[in-house]
Amino acid sequence: MAGRSGHPSTLAQAYALTCALACALATPWVSAAAALKVNGSSTVTPVVTEAAEQLQGQGLSIQVDPAGGSSGGISALGDGRIDVAMSSRPLKASDHERFPGTDFRSVAIGYDAVALVVSRDVWEGGVRQLSREQLQGIYEGRIRRWSELGGPDRRIVFFNKEPGRGTWSMFAGWLYGDADKAPLVSFPEVGSNQETRSKVASTRGAISQLSAAWADGETVFALGLVEGDGEAIAPTSENVTTDRYPIRRPLLLITNGAPDGAASTLVDFLLGTQGQSLVEKHGYLKVAAPPTAAAH
Amino acid sequence: MSPDGSTALTVPQQPPTSSRLAGLARWPWIYTGSLVATGLAALAFLGMLGLFAVESLPVWRHAGLSYLSGIEWFFRVQRFGALPMIYGTLAVSAIALALAAPLGIASAVFVAEILPARLRIPAKTAIELLAGVPSVVYGLLGVILLRGWMQDVLAPFEPLSGDTLATAGVLLAVMILPTIVTLSEDALRSVPASQRQAARALGFNRGEAILRISLPQARSGLVAAVLLALGRALGETIAVFLVVGRQDNQWPDRLLSLEPLAAAGQTLTSKLGGSETHIAYGDPLHWAAMLGLALILLILVAGVTLAGSAVAGPSSGRAAPGKSVRHPDA
Repeated sequence: MAGRSGHPSTLAQAYALTCALACALATPWVSAAAALKVNGSSTVTPVVTEAAEQLQGQGLSIQVDPAGGSSGGISALGDGRIDVAMSSRPLKASDHERFPGTDFRSVAIGYDAVALVVSRDVWEGGVRQLSREQLQGIYEGRIRRWSELGGPDRRIVFFNKEPGRGTWSMFAGWLYGDADKAPLVSFPEVGSNQETRSKVASTRGAISQLSAAWADGETVFALGLVEGDGEAIAPTSENVTTDRYPIRRPLLLITNGAPDGAASTLVDFLLGTQGQSLVEKHGYLKVAAPPTAAAH
Repeated sequence: MSPDGSTALTVPQQPPTSSRLAGLARWPWIYTGSLVATGLAALAFLGMLGLFAVESLPVWRHAGLSYLSGIEWFFRVQRFGALPMIYGTLAVSAIALALAAPLGIASAVFVAEILPARLRIPAKTAIELLAGVPSVVYGLLGVILLRGWMQDVLAPFEPLSGDTLATAGVLLAVMILPTIVTLSEDALRSVPASQRQAARALGFNRGEAILRISLPQARSGLVAAVLLALGRALGETIAVFLVVGRQDNQWPDRLLSLEPLAAAGQTLTSKLGGSETHIAYGDPLHWAAMLGLALILLILVAGVTLAGSAVAGPSSGRAAPGKSVRHPDA
């Protein structure tokens, strides 16, 4: 190591070098600032990311980021920080109230189901289905052991999706009629679909809500749901397409005003043949044949 | 390099008392530049403190002091109590320190006092490299390796999963270890060699010299090392986020019992790192509540850092005056 005080010219050289380096590093960032910014649901992210990669060949630059979930994306759009929000829940009245200056327009690019997934030991222990009442019991802490539900003698580890996630909204909405009516509870929370799957798979006695496309049947297992006196309906693609599975949701792209420029290119691509095959490839359902009524 | 000597050569007409200022006046850009830089750094901190204080005002108006003492946080009904998160942050940091401080100081003793000089720098560099590992890497290692292991270790407490306050604490301990080792080693090396020689001359053996001379004289430096590491532990986000469980409202029934540490919890940073920040954006009260957490965190970290510098400042590297050393056989 050299002496304590650097020679002035050495110091100046080092400074100039640092500046040059900083400029060199900043240049690609500056050019990327013109990119279309897309943010929101981690459920929609894989489809849009792959679409962005394919559109890159056509000279379109798109940044996709799943931080914050559906609500995070909608907030960021309302605040003008991004161009397109991805959401796995429909827009709510409260979104319009919070951002009165934003003209939210949503387009459904596909459909997904929210599955209730359990870890292997629960599945193999005999739990294959749950009724709405049983799930309410788990959510409210009245049912604490799998043995009460015909499963192994082990405690129930309920991982709740973070409140901003579309998955949680759809689940709580089905369970209590309206997500805002869900009781105030505190559970360990999980964020993205990736984190949810890995934590459920690696924890004995675990259950959580997960996008059905991520329920692989190898590490985590999707339960059938029972409503009233009905039979158990598993989130198979047949059951979701025919609208028999109860927790189904649209995958939305949301813009401020009608999509234009790069945003409209992205939306058109995703609604076209290539884009819809991407939707299917990632385990979701095409929008071309929506089971019932549709977009907002 | 006496200041008088150097000024006498260049500016002989200056009286010696103002020689230092006169020396600086020769390079006014250094003087003003460094002043501006220092001012900016200080202003950045004060500005941040002010910004968070002002932005979090709505929640203080809404909840008053119960924002600090409340143990329930349900944003959907506008109930904001930060205490369980403060507890989580302090508990996780305490576990980290309890594990890392003894281990770190012990390895600093070995590196500074026992290891031969030619091995000292490689050993220290290897430890310091650990400090450069990004925290998200530690977090992923925690998810892959630590969660399952901690669930087995904590089995007597029957944790629901491997995501616990204790898991986050152990992970943090690994992360702050290099800070403690490298700063403690510096503190020990700054004890003058003559002190050790004198101790040996008085008949102390090597172990006694370390225990009775080096460690006591480096004490303020060691305390500062631990406090600075604590500052890092309090503020660490992503690694904690991934393994702490992020369960709200985990206020323990018995504050000093160990059992709650084997359960999931929430820290100030894991709350701020979660998606709730995005929901809060746009709702003034909820947003204020989130920024209030940031304010609490900022004050905690600043307090610990100031304490660390205060301890390290005046006496590090100098022998404590007037301290008598009793020979073990005396």
